[in-house]
Amino acid sequence: MATKDLTAVESTKKRGVSTTRRMFQLAWRMRGFQFGLGTFLVLVLAAIILPEVTDLSATKINVRARFTPPFFMEGGTLAHLAGTDQLGRDLLLRSLIGLRNALGIGVASVFLMFILGCTLGIISGYWGRWVDTILMRVTDAQLSVPLIVLAITILGVTRPSAGTIIAVLVLAGWPIYARVVRSVALAEREREYVRGAKILGASDIRIMLIMIAPNILPPIAFVAVLDVARMMIFEALFGFIGIGIQPPTPTFGNIISDGTKYIINNWWIPTMPGLLLIIALLSINVMGSALERARNKIFAGVI
Amino acid sequence: MAFILTFLLRRIAQGVVVVFLVSFLIFTLLRIIPGDPVRMMLGANVSEVVLEQKAAELGLRDPIYEQYGRYIVEIFQGDFGQSYLLGESGGAAPTAQSKQGGRITEEGERKREESLKTQRAHVIKLIGDGLPYTLQLAGLGLLFTLLVAVPLGIAGGLKPEKWQDKIAFFSSSLFVSLPNFWLALVLILLISTRANLLPAIGYKGFSYTILPAIVLAVELAPIIIRGLSVAIAGNLQQGFVDGGRMRGLPWRQIVWRHIIRNSSIPMLNLFGVQIGGLLLGGVFVTEYIFDYPGVGKLTIQAVLQRDFPIIQGIAILAAGTLVLVNIMVDLIATYIDRRLKY
Repeated sequence: MATKDLTAVESTKKRGVSTTRRMFQLAWRMRGFQFGLGTFLVLVLAAIILPEVTDLSATKINVRARFTPPFFMEGGTLAHLAGTDQLGRDLLLRSLIGLRNALGIGVASVFLMFILGCTLGIISGYWGRWVDTILMRVTDAQLSVPLIVLAITILGVTRPSAGTIIAVLVLAGWPIYARVVRSVALAEREREYVRGAKILGASDIRIMLIMIAPNILPPIAFVAVLDVARMMIFEALFGFIGIGIQPPTPTFGNIISDGTKYIINNWWIPTMPGLLLIIALLSINVMGSALERARNKIFAGVI
Repeated sequence: MAFILTFLLRRIAQGVVVVFLVSFLIFTLLRIIPGDPVRMMLGANVSEVVLEQKAAELGLRDPIYEQYGRYIVEIFQGDFGQSYLLGESGGAAPTAQSKQGGRITEEGERKREESLKTQRAHVIKLIGDGLPYTLQLAGLGLLFTLLVAVPLGIAGGLKPEKWQDKIAFFSSSLFVSLPNFWLALVLILLISTRANLLPAIGYKGFSYTILPAIVLAVELAPIIIRGLSVAIAGNLQQGFVDGGRMRGLPWRQIVWRHIIRNSSIPMLNLFGVQIGGLLLGGVFVTEYIFDYPGVGKLTIQAVLQRDFPIIQGIAILAAGTLVLVNIMVDLIATYIDRRLKY
């Protein structure tokens, strides 16, 4: 397998394919990535489509059906694959809606922190001067405040909504992007083609956008993918502590938190949603790690 | 030696700047975000007049820069202030419970003030009480982490694309995918409640540290596994490996003395940058879930109750610890690898 991949790298290099493209091609060939992507797509489709087509309700209380165990246990039915909760609501359906919320928050927050961090990082690395000094100290400071403290400080007093949760996550997450992109910009700035462009009269903004920006994806793409999973965990954690999106809107956090009271006799209520969340996170993390391996292979020739 | 001194001085100066910045950011953030600590202290039944009086007395209505200046001066005098809510003997201070007392006269309020000043717990003492527990949890968590992650990471790095590598890859992917609160719940259910092997909630002895430490280790292990296997796989391709083989060195020696030693530098840096922050955040959440009486639980409670002095004190402590850890990491790195400069 190793030799096959190596030849692939060589041949694409000859065609002059960009590093970013080679990285995605390499990752695409890894079985882990394919598994991850497949599972992820199935889950996303299920989370988008199933709640719309089913006749079950995620919020309507059905006392008769409460505490139905999952289908593989005695007393379980195929109508409620993952069982029902203390109010008779279908756990799978609620979890899927939770997944939809978590994914939305995860993707949106990573997208925003990516934009913010990369912009500041490029300016700081390429342009330097006082922007750089300030940025470095601010990121230092930001990185030494645990996210969870920042999060409760802000979310504890506002009525938490998707918007405020995304804002908190972006606020806590952008420094890593700024750091990585800054180091890329620092290195690219000294490259000959950039200096050549400068002599030819290219403006700073043009250099930043056209020459440096395309180089930032390889070292940061995998961070972004892994961060989607990390932010989803935080979203769930906020819900669990009670500072996430509030019930009755289902989120992984509040389903698990409510279900905790019933864990002794009805273990599936907090456990099943957690399992779905873990499968989703695993699919994302495997994709991110595969990208990381592809990047390492291209840059250092290692795993 | 002179190099070390200038290095230390420079890094400490930078560190002090960072700690100040953190404390200032937290200080400001606490005060511009809605949520009045005085309301928390006095309860809902107190009149607006008493509330404002109390707030003015605590200096909470002064401009933020004035408050911050006062705070910093006090810190240099060794005074981190007193908790708004927690009493000296543990538990809540008297005013917190006075809500039930119906109407509160200003006379009675002032009297309570007098007694309260002496009774409110000092932040230093609160942190000092929790710190040993937190250190115990963090230490045990790190030990578990290293026990699991180092063998997996080394094995994975030495055998790229083989089953060892795959195990390292998938175990680290699985570990990062386990939300700590969910893992804590399931462990409590299976190990503590069903199997009755280990106690879980609260703290009555050393065994109460084990389950939280496992949860912490699962959170930290993936980073070490990944970092270590990448570093080792990278070193495996270096010239010194072939050189060692040509000189006829036993493989074991090449691995231990050359590859692993060279891989320990990026690991140390990883430790300083990533683990420091993660360990802190992880300890906080884990303590909260397991109701473990350390600094983390204290912090989260303080944040939920707007107990400003505690939050500020812990922010300074946390930032200071991270700065020190990073300086130590750099010092150890230059000791292991003499090629590095200060």
